[in-house]
Amino acid sequence: MVVVGGGTSGWMTAAALARLLPARCTVDLVESEAIGIIGVGEATLPHIRAFNERLGIAEAEFMAATRATFKLGIEFRDWARIGDSYIHPFGTFGRGTGEVQFHHYYARLLHAGAALPPVEAFSMACSLARANRFGAPATDPRQIASTFGYAYQFDAVAFAPYLRRLAEGLGARRTEGRIVDVARDPLSGDVTAVVLEDGRRVEGDLFVDCSGFVALLIGQAMGEPFDDWSRWLPADRAVALPCRTATAVTPYTSAIAMPAGWRWRIPLQHRTGNGYVYSSDFLDEGAAADALVGAVEGMPLVEPRVLRFKAGRRARSWVNNVVAVGLASGFLEPLESTSLYLVQQAITALVELFPERRIAAADRDEFNRLVNMEYDRVRDFLILHYHATQRDDSPFWDYVRTMPIPDSLAEKMALFRRRGRVVKYREGAFLDASWVSVYLGQRVLPDGHDPRAEGPTLDSLAAGMERLRGEIAAAVGGMPDHRDFLAGYCPMPAAA
Amino acid sequence: MLDDPIRSVAVVGGGIVGWSAAVALRRRVPGLAVTILATPPSPDALADRLPQTLPSTIGFHDDLGLREEDAVVRAGGAWRLGTLFEGWVEGLPPYVHAYGSYGRPFGTASFHHHWVRAAHAGAAAPFDSHAPAAALARAGRVATEAADPLLGDVQPGLVLDVERYRAMLAAFARHLGVHVREGTIAAVRLRGDDGFVERLVLDDGTMLEADLYVDASGPGAIVRGAIDQEREDWSAWLRCDRLVTGEGAPEPLSPLDRVTAADGGWRWRSAAPGRTLHGYCYAAAALDDASAGGSLAVAGASAIAAPISFRQGARPTPWARNCVAVGDAATVIEPLDFTNLHLAQSAIDRIVAMLPGRACHPLELADYNRQASAEVARVRDFVLCHYATARRPGGFWQPPAALPESLDRTLRLFAERGRLPFFEEETFARDDWLALLLGQGIVPRRVDPLIDVTAAADSDRAMAAYRAAIAQAVARCPTADDYLATARGRLAR
Repeated sequence: MVVVGGGTSGWMTAAALARLLPARCTVDLVESEAIGIIGVGEATLPHIRAFNERLGIAEAEFMAATRATFKLGIEFRDWARIGDSYIHPFGTFGRGTGEVQFHHYYARLLHAGAALPPVEAFSMACSLARANRFGAPATDPRQIASTFGYAYQFDAVAFAPYLRRLAEGLGARRTEGRIVDVARDPLSGDVTAVVLEDGRRVEGDLFVDCSGFVALLIGQAMGEPFDDWSRWLPADRAVALPCRTATAVTPYTSAIAMPAGWRWRIPLQHRTGNGYVYSSDFLDEGAAADALVGAVEGMPLVEPRVLRFKAGRRARSWVNNVVAVGLASGFLEPLESTSLYLVQQAITALVELFPERRIAAADRDEFNRLVNMEYDRVRDFLILHYHATQRDDSPFWDYVRTMPIPDSLAEKMALFRRRGRVVKYREGAFLDASWVSVYLGQRVLPDGHDPRAEGPTLDSLAAGMERLRGEIAAAVGGMPDHRDFLAGYCPMPAAA
Repeated sequence: MLDDPIRSVAVVGGGIVGWSAAVALRRRVPGLAVTILATPPSPDALADRLPQTLPSTIGFHDDLGLREEDAVVRAGGAWRLGTLFEGWVEGLPPYVHAYGSYGRPFGTASFHHHWVRAAHAGAAAPFDSHAPAAALARAGRVATEAADPLLGDVQPGLVLDVERYRAMLAAFARHLGVHVREGTIAAVRLRGDDGFVERLVLDDGTMLEADLYVDASGPGAIVRGAIDQEREDWSAWLRCDRLVTGEGAPEPLSPLDRVTAADGGWRWRSAAPGRTLHGYCYAAAALDDASAGGSLAVAGASAIAAPISFRQGARPTPWARNCVAVGDAATVIEPLDFTNLHLAQSAIDRIVAMLPGRACHPLELADYNRQASAEVARVRDFVLCHYATARRPGGFWQPPAALPESLDRTLRLFAERGRLPFFEEETFARDDWLALLLGQGIVPRRVDPLIDVTAAADSDRAMAAYRAAIAQAVARCPTADDYLATARGRLAR
C-alpha cells in the first residue's frame, strides 16, 4: 500500500494500517519536505480518543508531545447576534437519561414564562468549560460528573512527526521525493505507481491519496468530480496567525463570528492558534489579515499565512484502487472541528473494508456510502450555524441568512422549530445534544415541546432544575484548574 | 402559530395490538384521553394472534410499568430464548437464532471473523455453540438473575397465552382510565376540506370522535384504508399466504421454538405452559389446506383452527392525516421470526415519542413514516434472507430472481468479507444476522485481515475455552419448567 502525502492524514493512515493490518500490507509513504503541510493547530472531537487508543497511543505522552490541551466543547461568539455566546458541549444537557430529552422540559418552563438561565447552565461540560477547569469524567453513571466527554486541542505540526515515529516504529517506510507523474494501467485504469522527480517509481496495489487540496491521485489522475458546496458554505480562505497566550488556557475552542466569516481561537500549552476563515467574495486578503491582527489577544509569533480552499467533497472517495483520505477527499471548514474526525472515519472504514488485491465492488461501495453520509451530515450541521442568524450588519451575513439551504436541513430546522424534535441518527459526528445546543444557541427556539414533558408540575420541574444546577456547581468546584491539571498530567517538554 | 396538542385518541381494534396502543398512549402521554373501540380483531390479524414475541416486548412492558409477574406469570406466559431452524439448507445441521451475543470479542476484531477463519480450515464448532442464549435454549434451561455474568446479555422473548394477555391489558387499560367502547364501525366520515377523519359511525348509530385515530383493526385497516389504499406488495419475495394453527398436549416446557422447513412453507412448534403450539405457514399455490392440516395432526396437534389467508406487504405511509396504522393494518409479514407484535409495539413507541400536534403537520408525519418504513424494510429483509439463502428442492424453495436492493447489498458484502452494511434502523443486531447467515451456511469468501494479528491456534483455544465456560454456566441454570414453577410459587406466597 502506498500513502501519498505525509501530513496529519497521511501519517494517521500509515500508523493505523501498520498497526492494525501488519501482516496484510506493507506501508510506503511518499512525502516531500518541500511541500508544506496544512496543519494550523487542530481542535478535535471526542472520537479521536477511541482512535488513539486503537493505535496504542498513551494519552499523557501524546499530549505532552503535541503541547495539547483538553477540550470540553466549542464556544460560539456573536453568531446569532453580536454579543451572544454559547457552548456546544461534548456532553449532555441534564443527566441525559430518561425518556424525554432535557430540552423539552426546559422549553416547557420557558413557554410557561419561567425566567431561566441559558441552557448551558444545565450542562456539566459547559459549566466546567466556563470555569476553566478540567478533570477526568466520573465512571459511575449516577454522578453528574459522568455526563461529559472530552477531546484535545493540539499542535498539528507536532502531531504528524509524532505519528511518523509511531508508524515507522511499526514498520511503515518513508520515501522522500516529489511526485511528478502517476502511472496507470491502460486497461483497468488502476494506478500502478507514482513516479518521483529523480525517476524512482513507488509501486503498490492500493494507493491512499493524502496529498491534500491538490488531490494528486483522486482528482488529477482519476478525475473524480468534486461536488461544490460553496453556495452554502461560501468561506474559501483562511488566514492563520499563532500568538503567545495572553489570557486563560481555556478547555474549549472558540469560534468568533466576524464580518465576513469567523475566527478560531485554539489554546495550546505553548501558544494560541488563531485564524480568520472568510469568503473572498466579501473580503480581500489584506483586510482579512488586518482584521485578524486587530482581533487577537497575544503577540503574533509569525507573519499571517493564507490558505485557500473550497467546501465540498468528491462524488466518490474510493475509485479503482485509489482511496482519498483527508483534504484530497473533501473539505469542510473547521467550524465544528470535523477535519480529523472525517480523516479518522475514512481510515476506520478503510481498515474495516480493507480490500484484496482484486478489489471487490461491495467493499468500495460501502466505503463510499459511509464516507458520503458523514460528509453530508456534517455539511448540514455547519450550514445551520450560518443560516440561523439574525445578523444583518454585513453583506456576508445578509447572504448566508437569506440563501436557500438544502431541503434536508430545512426539514430538520422546521421540525425543531415546531416541537423541539431532533432528527434521529444512530451514528455520526453529532447526535442530539449537539443539534440542541446549536439550535438554542443560534436562537432557533421551539414553539412547542414533547407532550410527555407535561408530566411533572411546573414547580417540581423548576425545583429539579435548581437541584441539577447545585449538583453541577458542586462537581465543577471539585475539579482543578485546567492549566494546573495540564501541568500535573502532561507538561510539554521543557525545551519547547 | 403552532397547532394545539392532541388531546384525544381513538384506538380501533380490541386485539392485543389495540390494547397495547391504548395502554401505552394513556400511560405515557400525560393528560391524553384515550378511547378504545374494542372490536375483536379479524382472525387474519397476525400480530393480534401469534403468541411468540421478541425480547423487545419486555422493554415495552417496562416502559409501561408492567411487572413480569403480572404481564407474564399471571397471564399464562413463559419465556423463549430463540428458535431452532431445521431443514432450511439441505446437508447442514439445524441452527439456533437466539437473543443475545454470539461469541466474546478478543483481539481487535469482531468474534465472528475468528470463527470464519476456523470454518475455512474446516475446524469450526457450530457458530451457535458460542452463544450463551442458544446453549441455554438447547438445554431447555433459563437464566436466573443470579446466573453467571457470562449469561448476562441473554434477552428472553415471551410466549403468550394471547387471550389471557389481552384480558390483562384490558384490565390494566381500564385501571388507567381508558374509555372502552364496544361495537363495530359502520362508516368512517372524512372531513370535506382536508380529508382528515372526522368521526367513526358505529353500528348502533353512535359516534366516536377524536383528534387522532390509531388503526389496529387488522389487515382490513378499516379507518386508515378510508384515506388511501396504497400498499407495497411483497408477495413476489415472500410467497407464503396461508396459515393454519393448532394445539396439542403439553410437553416439557422449552425456551426453544422449532421452525422446520417443509413442503411449500414451514412449520413451527412451541412447548408453552399447558399446551404445545403448532403452526404451518405456506403458499396456497404450493400446498393445499388438507395437507397442511394433516401435517400438524401428524406433529401432534389436535385442536386445529380453520386456515387463514394473508398477503405480505406494507403501507409506505402508515401515518396519513390524523390516522396512523399499527399491526397488520400497517404491515403484514409471515411470523417466521415472530416480528409481528414487535413491529406493532415499536410503532406504538414511535407514536408516543413523535406525537405531532392536532394538525398532523406533513413534516412531522414524514419523519415518522421515514423511520417506520426503514425499520419495516429491514425486518422484511431479515425474514426474506431465510428464503434467499435456503437450499431445498421444489419450486416454492427456489430463491426469487431479484431481491430488494438493501438485502442484495447485505448479502453481497457479507458473502464477500463477513461484514454487514450500515443501516439507520435495524431491529436485528449484527449477531442476529450472523446467526442466520452463518447458520444457513453463508461463509464469507474472505477472512477479515483484522484478525491476522491473532494466530489461528490462539483463536481456536479461546473459542474452545468459551464453549466450555458456557457449558458450565448453563449446567447451573434451572430448567424452564422449574423456573416457571418457582415464579408461580412466589406469586402463591
